[in-house]
Amino acid sequence: MLVMGEVHTALLQNSGEIQEPVCRQVLGLMAGETVRVSRRPIAHALSPDLLTGVDCRLPSASQARVRAVGTVVSRCAITGGRVAQGSSYVRVERAAVDRRLSWSHYLSRPGVAEVLGKAKAGDLAAGFLDGAPPDCLDLGAISGRFLDLAQSSPLLDRRAPFRIPRTRLRWVTEVGEPSIRFTLHSDQVRTVRIAHPEPFTPALAALCEDLALHDWLLTTLLVLVERAGIGSAPGAQAAAKLAPAVDHLLHLWMPGAHVGESLAPYWESLDRRPGFTRQWRTLEDRVRDQVALNTLTLLSITAQTGRRCQ
Amino acid sequence: MLIFAISDKGGTGRSVTSTNIGYRHALQGNDVCYLDFDFGSPTAGAIFSVSSVARGTRNGGLHEYLRGGCAEPHRVDVWTESDREGLRTKPPGAGRLVLLPGSEGGGELSAVDDEMVRRCVQLFGRLEEEFDLCMVDVSAGRSFTAEMVLQASVRLPSIPFRWLVFHRWTRQHIIAADGLVTGADGLLDAGARFGHDPEELRDRIRFVRTAVLEPDAAELVGLRDEQRAWLSACDAELRELAGRHGVGRTAMLGKVPLDPVLQWREQLISDEDVLASKIANAETAAAFDELAKKIVDDSAWEGL
Amino acid sequence: MTSVNAAFGELAAERRIASAPLSHVSIELGHLYMEDFEAGPERLREQFGRVAPWAAAVRSGWQRRIPGGRARVSTCFLIDDYFSRFSTPAELVPMVLEAAAEHDLSIDYLARESSCAEADGVELARLVEGRLVDDPPPGTTGSRPPVKETGWLCNGSRSPRPGSVQAMGPAQRWAPPVQNAKRGHSIFVDVELWDENGGRRTWSCPFLAAVWQLLRLGMLRTEGELPLRPVPAGASWPARWDDLPPIVQLNDQAAPFSAYTTLSVLSPRFLPVELAVRTVLSQVAVDAEVLEQVRRRSDGEGVALEDEIVDRVTYVFG
Repeated sequence: MLVMGEVHTALLQNSGEIQEPVCRQVLGLMAGETVRVSRRPIAHALSPDLLTGVDCRLPSASQARVRAVGTVVSRCAITGGRVAQGSSYVRVERAAVDRRLSWSHYLSRPGVAEVLGKAKAGDLAAGFLDGAPPDCLDLGAISGRFLDLAQSSPLLDRRAPFRIPRTRLRWVTEVGEPSIRFTLHSDQVRTVRIAHPEPFTPALAALCEDLALHDWLLTTLLVLVERAGIGSAPGAQAAAKLAPAVDHLLHLWMPGAHVGESLAPYWESLDRRPGFTRQWRTLEDRVRDQVALNTLTLLSITAQTGRRCQ
Repeated sequence: MLIFAISDKGGTGRSVTSTNIGYRHALQGNDVCYLDFDFGSPTAGAIFSVSSVARGTRNGGLHEYLRGGCAEPHRVDVWTESDREGLRTKPPGAGRLVLLPGSEGGGELSAVDDEMVRRCVQLFGRLEEEFDLCMVDVSAGRSFTAEMVLQASVRLPSIPFRWLVFHRWTRQHIIAADGLVTGADGLLDAGARFGHDPEELRDRIRFVRTAVLEPDAAELVGLRDEQRAWLSACDAELRELAGRHGVGRTAMLGKVPLDPVLQWREQLISDEDVLASKIANAETAAAFDELAKKIVDDSAWEGL
Repeated sequence: MTSVNAAFGELAAERRIASAPLSHVSIELGHLYMEDFEAGPERLREQFGRVAPWAAAVRSGWQRRIPGGRARVSTCFLIDDYFSRFSTPAELVPMVLEAAAEHDLSIDYLARESSCAEADGVELARLVEGRLVDDPPPGTTGSRPPVKETGWLCNGSRSPRPGSVQAMGPAQRWAPPVQNAKRGHSIFVDVELWDENGGRRTWSCPFLAAVWQLLRLGMLRTEGELPLRPVPAGASWPARWDDLPPIVQLNDQAAPFSAYTTLSVLSPRFLPVELAVRTVLSQVAVDAEVLEQVRRRSDGEGVALEDEIVDRVTYVFG
């Protein structure tokens, strides 16, 4: 029927970026399961997929009582040794019988939640993207806990270079003519609605994780630029406040790096409108200009003092 | 940084002082979060003038969160939700100021189980990611709430934390404040039981005197010489008593003068209250400002 | 030249899962505990005598099912060296083989129970523990982590704990435990998976038996590889259990150790243990890739398998 997911993204709670062996340990959430690591074009480590059992109502825009039973797939990712994500999704399908079966039935279809009774995909999608009421499936809580697993690893020193809230991105994919809709809600909440002509594959979840990562980068850089108070604060102070952005963020922008070829057009269309990369480049230029300007000022002061001493 | 605010007894002005410190810290440009862990009477909402949560919140209060009733506690952005016009716009350069209210009709915890400590750890860990300072109002005296945060802070070894013990400047309060820290089942005793190093824990505890009437204060100008001499003698006696009980100057982080505004209506003291309407004393605002700096100033927290 | 198709791969970014060779059925001819051993060889002979007709029936059943009668059937025998250590391989193994032979039973594979806990540096029990996905009671939204009693696993909701969590709040009343998938009334099962003494963990007998079943079904992997492979028997039997490989292949013509399905012939006294084993098995999430591999192979052979792992495990109690 449809697939729904939620990705939480945060600054990894460590003073510097972490290297691959540490990434492997932080993300080694299951004995005997390998952490998948790719190094190009940017380091990206993915924990094994873990399951969480659920038996509850699904959010529905029409407030219909729709019960689903099954398992949610979750994982953690660390990109560039710097940004951590907790991600969960579930494929919602119609059950063959309208009563709860033994648990082993659901475990034989990992990542699927079966709807007992009638439900409309569009109604569930809208209900989910609006934010679920308390007694409904809570993918956000599951993703939040997976992100906690990475963030609370004893291998991290918890001395992050700056404080920044997590962002959460809820997404839904359905089968249909290709389209993508990205919506900013509050300061931290975003939604993405994707229609894709082919049946669901985990690559779509990876696309949403990549969107969440880049949206977080953009959101965070905007906050850092705002905090720097460019124009109102003294240049040196603004430059100092922008230093963490230069040290930890600017090199991480790599849209679509781990998204399959066939899904690349979704990223490209978002980059045309609203133009994520365009906004990022502008901000990046602003940050670099500030830092450069401050360096020039410092240089000229040094030169002047030098002349006076002669 | 986590700051745990506790007092020896009720009525010390712990909540109003700690909210004001949090407020000042936010004005100084830091992102601040205030957690109302005073479960028996969650009134931080009233102090921040957020009437919708004046007596706690009905949905998603901290109490409910710790019992597992909701996945995430309710948050109130003071800069947008306060009823006081003077607070409703974030001053330029100020950080975030977020209140996590208690649950309306909540009661003191009657026990602490492992699940509750786990949730508390999760909460502190997550808030630490986004806030420079989390001020936790732990309520008065020995409580399960104090026990819970002692246990939670042991499990977060890399998150720095400090305790502020609020007390009034009287004989009974000085003795009680010392007892709360060093007495049987006090912070050090219970802390050691949960795995804190008592020496290290002691270094993380400082006292804050509230509603202090200085013998040379302006309010005392009309007093007779005999009264002033008596007050002075009392003060000296209390200083000596405080020194003996380890509540003296070295262990003190600061003091807040007696201010009618704080006595009659517990509220945030804004610069407007001092400069424009002049209902509050400049000394009071200055004391809060000073404390807001000192709580994160490592030199004020060097070993005793 | 206008465009070039570029291909780039990173091995560390891919998941590679080895496939296990599979028989149609793995028959467990017996499970030897110290008390059986102490009862003498007569007890063993009796046991094999009871098992032999069932084993033959299952073998011929599969031969009828498979076109051309080419059913792959392997047999195995498990010796407990985990809960108690008795005798030596040199003394015990020949006695077991002899007793089996008297009833025309051939044991293809001999395994040690402690290998289900740990063998060759791989902690199989930990692998399985990591794959447990708790059966969620209705109303489980994911907003909190599953309610767990450390070291226990159940098939429903336990009784709430008495007491109240808030000063002056109402106390909670007793309520019965409830099975999640109950039909009318509950059969609530709560299984102890392990206990710890002085920091040393001892896995429970049902949990190790669940590991044993998963091993026989070829469902376990570590770092994508098979955790244990049978080792051909040496010329002589060692004097210490630790010197015996975890799984010894006694018959070099034997069909593969792991199989699509398993059959265990057991005394009825093991019924409660096996109920516990099934409770555990129905909460183990086998790797989706492994499930898919097995399904593809069985489909290719025209063998229809039950969807659920626990239904591929069968018993004869007698």
